[in-house]
Amino acid sequence: MKRFFLISFVSILIIALVLPACAPQQKDVIKVGVIGPMKFLEGEHHWMGAQLAADEINAAGGVNLNGKMYQIELIKADSNEILSPTDAASAMERLLTVDKPNFVVGGFRTEGVFPMQEVAMNYKTIFINCGAATRALQMKVAEDYDRYKYFFKGTPYNEYYLVNSDFLMLGMVAATLKKQLNITDKLRVAIVAEKLTWADAMVKTAEATIPKMGMEVTGVWRPSDTATDVNAELTAIAATNPHIIFPTFSGPVGVTFSKQAGEMQIPAAIVGIVVEAQKFGFWEATGGKGNYVMTLNTYGPGIKITEKTIPFFENFEKKFGQPPAYTAATYDAIYIMKDAIEKGQTLDADLLVPIIEKTDYQGTSGRVMYYGMDFDAKKYQAPHDLVYGPGYVTGLGLEWVDGKQVGVWPALGIGSGGWEKIDYPGIQPYVINPAVVEKFGQPAAPAAVE
Amino acid sequence: MFQAFVIQALVTGGVYALLAVGFSLIFGVARMVNLAHTSFLMLAAYGMFYTTYRLGLDVFTAILISLVATVVIGLASYKLFIDRIREHEVTVMLITLALATIFQECMVLAFGAHFREAPTLIPGFIEVLGVKISYQHLLTIAVVAVVLVAIWLLLTRTKLGIAIRATAQDTEVANLMGINVSQILLIAMGIAAALAAIAGIVVAPLWVVYPYMWMNPLVMIMAIVVLGGLGSIKGSVIGAFIIGLVEAAVVFYLPGGAFLRGAIALLVMVILLVVRPEGLFGIVFEEERL
Amino acid sequence: MLRRLFKDIQGDIFAIPGRLIAFIFLITLFFIPLLTQESYILFILILVNIFVIFAVSWDFISGYTGQINFGHAFFFGVAAYTAALLSKNLGLQPWATIPIGAVAATLAGMLMCLPALRLRGPYLSLVTLAMPLILLGVIKAFPDFTGGEHGISGLPALAGSRMAEYYIALVAMIVSVFIMWKLVDAKSGFVRIGIILHAIREDEIAARATGINTIRYKLLAFIIGGFFAGLAGGLYAHFLRIAGPATLDLMLSFQAIIWTVFGGIVSIYGAVVGVYILFPLMELLRQFGVPVWPGSDIMFSDLRFLIFSFLVIIILLFMPEGFAVWVRDKLERECPRCKLSNASWRKECRACGAELH
Repeated sequence: MKRFFLISFVSILIIALVLPACAPQQKDVIKVGVIGPMKFLEGEHHWMGAQLAADEINAAGGVNLNGKMYQIELIKADSNEILSPTDAASAMERLLTVDKPNFVVGGFRTEGVFPMQEVAMNYKTIFINCGAATRALQMKVAEDYDRYKYFFKGTPYNEYYLVNSDFLMLGMVAATLKKQLNITDKLRVAIVAEKLTWADAMVKTAEATIPKMGMEVTGVWRPSDTATDVNAELTAIAATNPHIIFPTFSGPVGVTFSKQAGEMQIPAAIVGIVVEAQKFGFWEATGGKGNYVMTLNTYGPGIKITEKTIPFFENFEKKFGQPPAYTAATYDAIYIMKDAIEKGQTLDADLLVPIIEKTDYQGTSGRVMYYGMDFDAKKYQAPHDLVYGPGYVTGLGLEWVDGKQVGVWPALGIGSGGWEKIDYPGIQPYVINPAVVEKFGQPAAPAAVE
Repeated sequence: MFQAFVIQALVTGGVYALLAVGFSLIFGVARMVNLAHTSFLMLAAYGMFYTTYRLGLDVFTAILISLVATVVIGLASYKLFIDRIREHEVTVMLITLALATIFQECMVLAFGAHFREAPTLIPGFIEVLGVKISYQHLLTIAVVAVVLVAIWLLLTRTKLGIAIRATAQDTEVANLMGINVSQILLIAMGIAAALAAIAGIVVAPLWVVYPYMWMNPLVMIMAIVVLGGLGSIKGSVIGAFIIGLVEAAVVFYLPGGAFLRGAIALLVMVILLVVRPEGLFGIVFEEERL
Repeated sequence: MLRRLFKDIQGDIFAIPGRLIAFIFLITLFFIPLLTQESYILFILILVNIFVIFAVSWDFISGYTGQINFGHAFFFGVAAYTAALLSKNLGLQPWATIPIGAVAATLAGMLMCLPALRLRGPYLSLVTLAMPLILLGVIKAFPDFTGGEHGISGLPALAGSRMAEYYIALVAMIVSVFIMWKLVDAKSGFVRIGIILHAIREDEIAARATGINTIRYKLLAFIIGGFFAGLAGGLYAHFLRIAGPATLDLMLSFQAIIWTVFGGIVSIYGAVVGVYILFPLMELLRQFGVPVWPGSDIMFSDLRFLIFSFLVIIILLFMPEGFAVWVRDKLERECPRCKLSNASWRKECRACGAELH
C-alpha cells in the first residue's frame, strides 16, 4: 500500500507538473508573469497594477507585433517571499518552466528577489523588479553583463537616492519649523532606523550630514524592523527633547512607532521614510494616531507628476477601490515592455534588452530612463537602475493630515540643484503638528507675520 | 533618564508577565508546550478589531465577545485535536503549531495580511517623574496584578484549584483520588485561553494587529517561562520582569543596538539557565536529577 | 556470487514490505531524470533531498536522545553562512565550502551542547530555540561582513546543470541517511552508539548506572547531527546561491519537526517519508489556481497552508506515532522469538518458523 502510494504519488507529481506545460499554447498571446507576495499588500498591488495595464492594453487592441495584435495574458505567481525566500525561488522556477511567460514583473523583499533573479537569469527571461530598492541587485548586471542583462528596475530608485530625497525633505521641514515657529537655537534631530542594511547607509549619512545642515543629532536608535513595542525607544527619544524625529522604517515597526508616538503625543515632527505610512491603510492601522507623519513615497493622490499620474490613480481607485501602493508600478513595467516589443517587433529577450536599455518613457511617477554600463559608481548609479533626479523620477513627500495623504514635497522654490524648479500641481504646504507648535513655538516676530 | 529606564522596565515586564502566566499554567498542569498560546492572543486582538471597527460595537460588548469567542475556540481545539493524543508530547506540540498556522491563515483569508489596530481601552498618557506612560501600559500592569491575585486565589483557596494542582503534581495519583483529570485539563486549557485572550485585549492595542503577530512574542514568552522555572507561575512573573529589565537596559544604554534587545534577553536566559539548570523557581523532580 | 547477492536481496529486501518499498523508491529516484527532464520537478526534488538530510539529522539528535531541538536551523544557517563567506572571500568552490561548512556546523553543535551538559528536557529545548535567534542578532549587527538582511548572494552554483545538481543532492541524501540509519540501528554490530542512544532515551538514569557516560553520547549525537544538518545547509546555499537570514528562521526549525513527526519520530525513514510527502504536497497545492467555489476570489492555492496544517493534524490524530511508522506497523510484524521483521500477512516467521499473531 505504501509502495502504491509512493509510486502513484511520484507519478501524480510528474503528471501535475508536466501536463500544464504540454498544453497547446495559444499563439496570439503575450504572457506576463506577475510574481509577488500575493497575500500581502505589496503583492496584491503588483497584481492590481498589472491587471490595470493589461486591461487597458487589451481594450485598445493589444500589442502590435509583426502586424498582428497580441493580447496580454497575466499569470499570477505567489512568491510568499516575505515568509520564505525558498518558496520564492520555487515559485519563480515553476512560473518560468511551466507557464513559460515572455517576461516577468514583480518582486519585493531583497532576500527573496536575489534567488528569483538567479532563476530568471538561468532561463534568460526579462525580469523587471518592481519593489526591491537594493542597489546590489542592480550591480549584478555590472558584474556579469551577459548573465544578468535581463534584469531591470521597475521601482523604486535605489537606496542611496532614497537617502538623498530623504535629506531634501528633512531640510524642507527644518526650514519650515525654523521660519514658522521662530526657533533661533539649533534644531535637534533624533535618528531612529530599523536595523536593516539599507537603513545602515541612511544612519551613517544622517550622522554626517545633519550637523552640516546646521542641526544637532540627539542620538541614534535602532529597533528591530519587527519590534512590537517601541515604548522604551520613544521614552528614551523623548528624554532627549528633539524637534524632529527622523525615522527609517520599512517593516511593521513603522506602524508601531507612529502609533505609540501619537498616543504619547511626542512633540516632534516625524519626517523620513515610513513605508507603512505610504499605504492607504496606515490611518486605520494606527487608529488615526499617525497624524502628521511624513514619509517619502513614489506617487500620491491628486499630485500631477506626469500626464499619466492622475488618470492612473483615478482608474486604479475606480477598479480596486483603493489608491495604488508603489509596487503597482508593474503598470509602468508592462507599458515599457509593450513599447519595447512594438519597437523591436520581437519577443526575443536578447533583442529586447538593448531596446529596453534605451527606454525613454513618461511613467506614472516620472520620466523613466535607465543607467547603462557606463554608469558612474561614485554617484551610486547602477546599470539598469532608474535615472534619478529633477526631470526624471523624484519621489514625493506625503504627510498624513487628518486622515488624508497630502503631498508636501518637492515644493517649488525649496532645494537646489534643480529641485527648486520642480513644480508638481497638487503640492500643498507642510502642516506642523500642533503639539510641536505648542512646545517650541515662539511669539512671532513682527516681520514674520506678513 | 534613570527613572525612565526603571519605569520602562516595569512596563515591558508587566506586558510579558501577563502573556507568560497562561502559558506557564497550561504547561504546569498538562505538561503541554502550547505553541498556539500567542495565537489565542492574536484571535482576541482580531476579535477586538472586528467587533469595534467593523461591527461598530461598544468596547465592553467587544471585550466580552472576544473573550468568549477565544475561550470557546481554545476549548474546542483542545477537545477536538489534543485531548485524545495528549500522551504523545511531541505530537501535541506539533498539533498546537499546526493550530497556530490554521488560525493565522484564517485571519489572512478573512482580513488579509495587513496591519490593523485594536482599540485603545483608555486613551491618553500620564507623566510620572517626567516620563510619559500611556494609560494602556498602566492598565496592563494593573491587569497583571489582578490576574495574578485571582489565579493565586483560585489555585489555593478553591477545590478546583486544589484539583488542578494535584493534577499538575501527579496525574495518575490525582486520577486515583477521584479527580476527573480530563475535565481538569479542559478547565486549565480554558483558563489559559482566557488569560491569553485578556492579554490580547489589553496588550494588542499597544502593538500592531496582524496575522503573524503571534511568532515574536511566543519566543520571548517561552524564554521567560523557562527562565522562571517551568510550571512556576511566580517564576514566570519574576522572569518576565528580568527580561523586561534587560530589554529596557539595552534600549536605554545601547540605543544603537536596540534591535539586539531580544537577542541579548535570550542570551541572558541561556546564561542564567546554565547557572541554574532548573530555572529560578523550577522544581527538580528526583527522578529527573542527573 | 551474483546468485548469492540475488538470494540476499530476495531474503532481506523482498521479504519485508518496508524494505521493498524503500528499494523501489531508491531505484525510482535514480531514474527520475530519465523519465522527465522538466527542470521544475528536478528543482523541487533537489530541495526535497536537501531537506531530507536536514529532517533526518533532526530525528538523529532529538528523536534518539529525547532532547527536542527547537533550533535546528542553527546548524543549517551556520553552515550556509560559512560556505557563503568562504566562497565570497576566499573564492573556494562548493566541493570545499560545503564540507567546511558542515564542519563549522559540527563545532556549532558542540557549542549548542555546552548547556546541554547541565540542562535537559524543555530547558534544553529552549536554549536550542534561542541559539539561532541570538546568531541572527549577531548577523544583523555586522552587516558589512554578513550582508545583513540581504544575506550573501551570488555564490557559485552547486554544479553546471540541473541534472548534475540533482544527482549530487540525491547521492548526498542517500549517503547521509544511510550513515545516520546505521549509526542508530540498535541491532547493528557495526557500532555501539545505536543501542546506547536507545538506552539513554528509554531510561537515562539506568544507562548511567550501567556505566555509560550519557553526556558524552548526547554530545556525540549533537555533533553528528549538526554535521549532517550543516551539510544540508551548505548544499542549500549553493543551490539557491544565497545564504540569508531565512536559513536561521524559526519556521525552518519548526519545519524539521513537522516533517519528522509527521513521518514518525525515532525512525529515520519517517523523516524521509515526511519530507517526500509534505514538501511536494505544498508545491502541488500551489498548482491548484482554481476558485474554491465558482466565482469566488479565493483560490485553492491560497489555502495551501491551511490545507497543509489540517492534513498534518488529521494524520497525527489518527496516527500519533507518525504516518510512516503507522504504515510500517500495518505491513510488518516483528517475530516474538528472533526479533526479525516479517510481512504482516505471514503466518510464521520467515527465519525461525515461530508462529506470528
